[in-house]
Amino acid sequence: MSASTPFQQRVAAAVADKRVVRAVHLATLKKVEAREAGMDQLRDFEQIRSLAAQVKQHTLDYLPRYLEQFVEQIEGRGGAVHFAPDAEAARRIICDIATSRGLKRVVKSKSMTSEEIHLNQALEAVGLRPVETDLGEFIVQIDHDTPSHIVTPIIHKDRRQIAQAMQRELGCEYTEDPTELTMIARRHLREIFRNCDLGISGVNFGVAETGTLCICTNEGNGRLTVSRPRVHVALMGIEKVIPRMRDLPVFLKLLARSSTGQPLTVYTTLISGPKRLQDADGPEELHVVLMDAGRSDIWAGEFREVLRCIRCGACLNACPVYRNIGGHAYGSVYPGPIGALLTPLLHPAGGHEELPRASSLCGACGVACPVKIDIPDLLVRLRAQTHRSHPLAKRVAMRMWLWAMKSPLVFRLGQRLLRGLLKDGGDGWATDGPGPLRAWTQPRDLPIPPKRSFRAIWQAELSNEDKRG
Amino acid sequence: MNLQDFLSSLTKRGGGDRERTPLPDDLESAVRQVDGNVDLIGVFAASAEAAGARVRRTSGADWLTAIAGILGDLDATRICTQAAEVGFLSRARSAELSEHLRDSGMTVSTDTGDDELFSADASITGVSAAIAETGTVVCESGPNAARGASLIPPVHVAVVGAAQIIPDLCDYFEQLPGGPELPANVNLITGPSKTADIEGTLVTGVHGPGKLFIVVVATGS
Repeated sequence: MSASTPFQQRVAAAVADKRVVRAVHLATLKKVEAREAGMDQLRDFEQIRSLAAQVKQHTLDYLPRYLEQFVEQIEGRGGAVHFAPDAEAARRIICDIATSRGLKRVVKSKSMTSEEIHLNQALEAVGLRPVETDLGEFIVQIDHDTPSHIVTPIIHKDRRQIAQAMQRELGCEYTEDPTELTMIARRHLREIFRNCDLGISGVNFGVAETGTLCICTNEGNGRLTVSRPRVHVALMGIEKVIPRMRDLPVFLKLLARSSTGQPLTVYTTLISGPKRLQDADGPEELHVVLMDAGRSDIWAGEFREVLRCIRCGACLNACPVYRNIGGHAYGSVYPGPIGALLTPLLHPAGGHEELPRASSLCGACGVACPVKIDIPDLLVRLRAQTHRSHPLAKRVAMRMWLWAMKSPLVFRLGQRLLRGLLKDGGDGWATDGPGPLRAWTQPRDLPIPPKRSFRAIWQAELSNEDKRG
Repeated sequence: MNLQDFLSSLTKRGGGDRERTPLPDDLESAVRQVDGNVDLIGVFAASAEAAGARVRRTSGADWLTAIAGILGDLDATRICTQAAEVGFLSRARSAELSEHLRDSGMTVSTDTGDDELFSADASITGVSAAIAETGTVVCESGPNAARGASLIPPVHVAVVGAAQIIPDLCDYFEQLPGGPELPANVNLITGPSKTADIEGTLVTGVHGPGKLFIVVVATGS
């Protein structure tokens, strides 16, 4: 396959790496099954999905009001709220909190928002060495890699690569046993947790009514990150807020099921302000960094419902494109169907116009989404917005296609023409189209046109009917 | 731009003529999975076991021996105990438990400082509530309730009074106070610490306790 754009080159490289394709294939299919089994436990999961979509959409439609309430509540409980209009501001606020207080030993729990703003590089630039403590993120960090899935960051790595990275970076004995590898990481990170002074986390849900941060984790590193250090900084996008405490179970019952099939994550942590005076332990300071970074532009436009996303990863697992190219090929922090929407919307000038087209529009993502984001429809709408970025030849071809589709005569002529032009490329597929058509036929599986068209068969059958009748 | 300016700019950009989705009136009838008309202890035990916890059902007479038995089987000798402000494991009962474990030859600390927690073989805590639907135990922070107690030692034994079991996740959130009484840190714990990051293989105890025992005491409050 000829690869012209950087995106096409990444896809070509990803498809060629059979080991990664296989790993991602198996893992995502397992998750799809687990999700279905988890959802089937619920009496009426369709109804819960509708409610979750409605609550999140309602919150977005009244976002200024809920954000104001959320901030008031946090401050009332002794927490501090910082507003970051963009990624740069968010990085600066967090670095300032660390440096002004002399905090040196930084631990992080998994946060896609922190990935989005490349927080670790910023912390390193001011002389800090943040330690990722989620097992997958820890391995990503020591292996100088990037996550390829929003829930399971090392879905693309096998145990051999992990064993090599651990041996090289931690100096431990070589083992490929997942339990032993996990325990080596536990021992290493335990000492770091014992002595850390700044913990940085993300937020799954922010409850406006009480100013509560809800964090859903399985490993326990999230709990350690928000309870061990003297200072806890929580980074959250403005879209994470929900109205009331009693709305939380609607989302909790869907989030883990959509991600891994679990009824609930092992730990659901609710944080309402810093340590109280009488509390036995806990962080003395709580800072919430509320980040916009392109979200308000999405919010004000026609793609608002994208902000309902709760980052469960179900659409990645369900997507046949993600399953075959993996996360890295997307070249963005958020891969998969939701990433193909979020990335170009968050970074309109970032050159991500191709992402919405990296979809077969089969609809599996929309069916899997726990908050009923109509991903396929939004992908089409986003494609329409970016059609000017197509090469001229393709736009001309599409014009001709439109013309042919509108006129039966042109359609028939075109069909006849193509039957002559589309030949077997040598592998049973019409990969070797003539002239400029080649750019379209080559990366796609287009069957060779049959000898007779459907129309011809239909006509012949009709005339046979007439004869018999 | 500060937050106030941002919020007023959002209000301006929100599109006043845009259709707005109302908040649904009734969440519970669709969301609730378990009501009070079931064997709550049975449902709780089954869900907790499915999440990987081990559940022991005991009577008010033999809960002390049940806990000593669990710890004895694990060869645990250094134990941290922590009473809850509410529920079965009161201060008096916690003291009684410490006494019993010391008599069985274990070292028991009621202090939950770093030295104690990082060197303990197991911790024993009370709970604020237990949720039948999901097999969850809830630990809330407070003056005598360290966040680390149910988190740092490799084994966590949660002591639940049968009367503390509520049917559904909704019931817990419905009763949480909104004012200053809301604890600064609440943890809903469903099974032992888990990861499946390495090739999807399930491993317990990566950061939190690898073993979670739940002792449900059938009498008392």
